[in-house]
Amino acid sequence: MTRTLAMDLYALPNADSVVARAQAGDATAFEALYRAYERPVYALARRICRTTEDAEDVMQETFFEVCRSIGQYRASGPLWGWVRRIAASKALMRLRREKYRETDELQDDVLPMRRDDVALRMDLEAAFERLTETARAVVWLHDVEGFTHEEIAGMMGKTPSFSKSQLSRAHQRLRLWLGEEAMA
Amino acid sequence: MTHLTMDQLLACREPQSEPGTAAARAHLSACAVCTQELERLEQRVARLRALPPLQPARDQWPAVRARIVTSRRRRLVQRSAWGSLVAAAGIALVVLVKSGPLAVRVDAAPKQVASVDVEDLVMMKTRSQVLEAALESYNPQVRVLDGRTAVLADALQDRIATLDQQLQAAQLEGPDRGLPARDARLLQLWEERVGLLDALVDVRVTRASNIGL
Repeated sequence: MTRTLAMDLYALPNADSVVARAQAGDATAFEALYRAYERPVYALARRICRTTEDAEDVMQETFFEVCRSIGQYRASGPLWGWVRRIAASKALMRLRREKYRETDELQDDVLPMRRDDVALRMDLEAAFERLTETARAVVWLHDVEGFTHEEIAGMMGKTPSFSKSQLSRAHQRLRLWLGEEAMA
Repeated sequence: MTHLTMDQLLACREPQSEPGTAAARAHLSACAVCTQELERLEQRVARLRALPPLQPARDQWPAVRARIVTSRRRRLVQRSAWGSLVAAAGIALVVLVKSGPLAVRVDAAPKQVASVDVEDLVMMKTRSQVLEAALESYNPQVRVLDGRTAVLADALQDRIATLDQQLQAAQLEGPDRGLPARDARLLQLWEERVGLLDALVDVRVTRASNIGL
């Protein structure tokens, strides 16, 4: 459901022709792929990575990989789905490389003290930014990009239960930080 | 009355039903509080999807293109190096088979003539290997370069590739030109190669420190 929505948003009208030219090594086709997907790839990378530099790094790595591996792409699914999967893998690899877990734990410790602080009620974007790196990645990949828990688990090297648990905890936090009423 | 947990609410949104989801859905249809909570969850997800699109501050294409070009050139150079190696081995085999005794005579002569340059040559080759190892450990394939730096690094790699071809050609030169002349030429080429590798290391390391990698 969500996947179809995301795929349709970034459909490349002449994808078959662009892919065929890229597979033949046509540099203009590589650039066409880049121009078609630079924004969604950057958006995905930036929502998952902590800094713009990391996101730009992921973006470069993604398109380098896309151009290098385009010969392996089989038009069995939407092109954006293939590009997006590469981007998600690169972003998650970057998270693992940067070892963001330390900050994850720090934020977990801080959380209970802010429960009733109305002043800390924030907009959704700020609340999302405040999530841990892992939780943010899971929320974005699942709720926005439409990846399944199984797919996320595969890319993260974790179990689907881990992905579900991260999503659940993230939504509980978002709900709290956004000042939504407590569940009865 | 026990209301649904976040886990259960999220499970209700999944297309595949898990054990217990049917009961949770049944509860939802009868519980206004949980229905409202699910509605909030749906709204939160919808708002996440509607967050403003983020755009890169600068065009990354020149850097991506430079990486693609560099990678292609590297592969070409590797292929041509292997090709030359095979060709050289073939020529050496033919010479050995057709004129074995001559090859022995040729081998005997250069030891005294080229002995002066041998140490310099070995030193240059070693220095070249050290620099290549430094570049390799720096892992340039996963580094980000801005467009201008990438173009500079690309130009240097280009010149190194050309130099490698000249080196291969010089190494195949026979005794007709004279071994001292060949060794002098080889030494000059190796010195140039070391200079270019030095410059390449400088370019990559300087860029890395600039972006704090």
